[in-house]
Amino acid sequence: MSLTPSQWAALLPLLIPVFGACLVTLMSIDKDQATTKWIRGAMYGTALLAVGASFWYLTDLWRTGSQPAFFQLHMDRLAQFTGIFVAVAAALTILQSWDHFHQEGWVKGETLALLLFAVVGMVLFASTTHFVVLFLGLELFSLPLYALVGTVRARSESAEGGMKYFLTGAVASSCFLMGGVLIYGLSGTFDLAAAASILTVQGLTLDPLVLVGAALMLLGFLFKVSAVPFHQWTPDAYEASPHPIAGFMSVATKGVAFIALLRVFPGSFGSLGPVGAKMQSVMAVLAVATLVLGNLTALVQSNVKRMLAYSSISHAGYLMLGFVAGTPAAYTGVLFYLVIYLAMNMGAFGLLTAFGLVGEQTTFEDLRGLGWKRPAMGFSAAVFMLSLAGIPPLGGFYGKYMIFRELVGTGHVGLAILGVLASLVSAYYYLRFLVALFLQAPSAEAERLASDRPAVRAPLAGAAVLVSAAIVLAGGFIQYALADGFAKRAITEGLGLLR
Amino acid sequence: MTWLNLHPLTFLVFAPTVLGFLLMALPHALGKLARLLGFLGALAIFVLSLAWLLGHAPAAGGTVMAERTPWFTLVGLPVDYALAVDGLNFWLVLLTTFLVPLTMLGTWNSLKDRMGTFAALFLLLETGMLGALVAQDLFVFYLFWEAMLIPMYFMIGVWGGDERRYAANKFFLYTLSGSLLWLVALLYLANKAGGFNPAVMAQAASALPFGVQGWLFIAFAVAFAIKVPLFPLHTWLPDAHVQAPTAGSVILAGVLLKLGGYGFIRFAIPMFPQAAMHYAKPIALLSVIAIVYGALVAMVQRDIKKLVAYSSVSHMGFVMLGLASMTVIGTQGAMLQMLNHGISTGALFLLVGMLYDRAHTRMIADFGGVAVKMPIFTTFFMIVTLSSIGLPLTNGFVGEFWILNGTFLSGFPWGRLYAALATSGVLLGAVYMLWMFMRVFWGPENKDEDSGTHHLHSDLNAREIAVMLPIVVLIVWMGVHPKTFVAASETPVTALLQEVKAPAPRTFVLTPAVHEVTGAHEAAGAAGAHAPEAPAAHEVNQ
Repeated sequence: MSLTPSQWAALLPLLIPVFGACLVTLMSIDKDQATTKWIRGAMYGTALLAVGASFWYLTDLWRTGSQPAFFQLHMDRLAQFTGIFVAVAAALTILQSWDHFHQEGWVKGETLALLLFAVVGMVLFASTTHFVVLFLGLELFSLPLYALVGTVRARSESAEGGMKYFLTGAVASSCFLMGGVLIYGLSGTFDLAAAASILTVQGLTLDPLVLVGAALMLLGFLFKVSAVPFHQWTPDAYEASPHPIAGFMSVATKGVAFIALLRVFPGSFGSLGPVGAKMQSVMAVLAVATLVLGNLTALVQSNVKRMLAYSSISHAGYLMLGFVAGTPAAYTGVLFYLVIYLAMNMGAFGLLTAFGLVGEQTTFEDLRGLGWKRPAMGFSAAVFMLSLAGIPPLGGFYGKYMIFRELVGTGHVGLAILGVLASLVSAYYYLRFLVALFLQAPSAEAERLASDRPAVRAPLAGAAVLVSAAIVLAGGFIQYALADGFAKRAITEGLGLLR
Repeated sequence: MTWLNLHPLTFLVFAPTVLGFLLMALPHALGKLARLLGFLGALAIFVLSLAWLLGHAPAAGGTVMAERTPWFTLVGLPVDYALAVDGLNFWLVLLTTFLVPLTMLGTWNSLKDRMGTFAALFLLLETGMLGALVAQDLFVFYLFWEAMLIPMYFMIGVWGGDERRYAANKFFLYTLSGSLLWLVALLYLANKAGGFNPAVMAQAASALPFGVQGWLFIAFAVAFAIKVPLFPLHTWLPDAHVQAPTAGSVILAGVLLKLGGYGFIRFAIPMFPQAAMHYAKPIALLSVIAIVYGALVAMVQRDIKKLVAYSSVSHMGFVMLGLASMTVIGTQGAMLQMLNHGISTGALFLLVGMLYDRAHTRMIADFGGVAVKMPIFTTFFMIVTLSSIGLPLTNGFVGEFWILNGTFLSGFPWGRLYAALATSGVLLGAVYMLWMFMRVFWGPENKDEDSGTHHLHSDLNAREIAVMLPIVVLIVWMGVHPKTFVAASETPVTALLQEVKAPAPRTFVLTPAVHEVTGAHEAAGAAGAHAPEAPAAHEVNQ
């Protein structure tokens, strides 16, 4: 079977990062990779170029519209959305990595290669309804991320975090696999959409095994989005990983898991009415738990990365509320939220790099007074934190607005009230970040240490932060363009929910 | 100039933001230049607003200027970019544009560092306040309402007193808690109405069962009452006021609190007339408690600024009492009292700031005999004190008198008792203000080395006198000829109360600008700067 040119074009965004990863791996064979400036530049340049080219081809595809499926691959608008989403996240990650790994003194080409493989896996994961491809995608992005979390082998806690993430992740993957196997065993097909219709025809929609299968698959997704009670890995993994990787995980993993969930549950399993309804009520309960636990735990964190980890857990809760509402507009809201969340969280983690905080040094104490020293970064920090808290007129507000509006519209007023109360709580810990940056002067000890160290220079991380801030601001002022032109089209022309 | 002619309000609202961001971009070393530019910009905006608004004084209470254009439709709910100045917000807009440059000038030397950033935040705050005042679409109103929090948070938190972080967080979270629950109510109603046009939403609300209307009204009322602040939701205010820098206190008392009262008269009461009538009595009761309680607490304060802060609780209680009386005279009194309080309490905070800048203390006990050292300052303080007490011929008298009159006539079962109790609040106001005045200004000079009086070396300078003079002029003008300031709101208030008290079925009157273009989604800037008078009159007569 040979591919048509348009199919090649649809595959290119997946193939380019693979090539890029191989090239970077080849370059990193040189043992002086960390010290030789041009090798380092070439590695990062290649990675960035690969992601950029992938992004460029995806926007090109976006202009032509959804592609017919081939190889169990649906290169439709939703997949293109995912690709663009992941490519932007990866590009910001690579920019931040340049400075962060330099600060850590741990420049390795393999991190870039792993990141590129993860990008491919993520796009694959979100663009198929075939269980085997789905699982391949899941593992293709999970395995590199396990390694990336523990990539700074010089720090023992990094390796420890990576190991923890791997062990829990392996269990979740096994559950996911088991769920798929049950569905396959009952329906005889790996294609989830076909399986759903076969099960309906056989009258097995409420068969306990089908329910268990669906629930196990849901567990796999919820683990990846770090919903309570499958969230425990999140703070440890984020704390252990290099800042840019933590940012990438918090954004891209959560994002693609939600998009894949969208494709499988309301999408493929949409015809399995009762199963979907059951899963929706499970989601409602877990969303409440996630919001409450995520926000309350984030309140008491003194480590910024752990705070951001619990914050990312709580954001999973808001996104899950979108699934509870379950309308096409709510799914549009979920995608819009993800776009803004990408910028807010990549920006927030990028700030740590831009401020030159490494290793253990990520408590609120370490941030004191930095907002005034680095005004552009400080301004961006205010944008990110206020947006994360959902304060208008920033992008984060509109994400919550769209989801809450659909909740209220579908009669879930109680959940909407819980949601706004959760964001009230969250405002407190996001303000803490700003309190440290602007409202507190640096401690004398920190001043003394700072005068001993050379001034932090993180131009690329700074640029990444500014780009993120621009996206968040754009989300606040041209929200309709992002929501209607981008998110809504991905839903209507990808999932066909509005047709 | 065509763009400006079509979008005068957009210019007024967003010019401060543009200037603010420019000032933020200025390097740290140019703080003094930024302060000057900020002041000049704010002054220009005031002059412009004065020229534009007074050029079209709303004789019949109609719309002075309006802009309306569809902005976006998100999740099925259209949002209109709708701004208008009419009888209800006319003077509040001018109060805002007046107080901002005045406060900047009055606190010229109060800040030692980051003057540029402060001026920038101040201008951003002006955008928030003006935007909320002129917004005619509830979504737009909500945006400005919330956006106001951000600059105020930093103004308190960065430049405030020792407990500034606590006060700033409390202010932010307290206000946010009210507005977030209000957002849910807003979404609920928008879902029923299919949009955020207040007139359409009010119609949708009238079709809901009374219980639901009541809950929606409560959600609106709590958000606004926190801002006012109405007892028992006032606890953030003393902290915020005492910790905020002088400029922050002035603008907080002068304008931000007004937005709460304005929210009631603009949205909460006209949108839920039945519920508003139903809950008028408890609101009146809370207002009376606020009046008396605020005054009593003010009496025992040892810090002058805290005393003024609690006097705000008491004075804003009058505003709420006037609104709750549901009578034309009471509501008009509330409208005037909002302006009065903005001028008088703003002036008090400015004066306390001037004293603090010299003496570095605000404790009443640290002073004594200030009149000897600062005669000009004492004179101004006296005038403002008398206005705050409500001496006849000053502005305070007229507003409070009308409010009490309205309460008396309200026909509440306990209306007359409320009026009597509130009158005791006027009396208590005289007690705490004059007692404070006596201890600080009269008596022998406090010769103690550590005392505040000892550190007073200079009386007011020309700049400070220039700040106080217009305030004194306004105090007298508003006391002698209040009609200037309430003529604009008379027609809309009368129409509104007729509607509220009319037997069902009701037609909804909000503002002419809103009513006339219901659902119209074409033509950008539907009504330009020169809104024709004919439709306005027509609407009012409906």
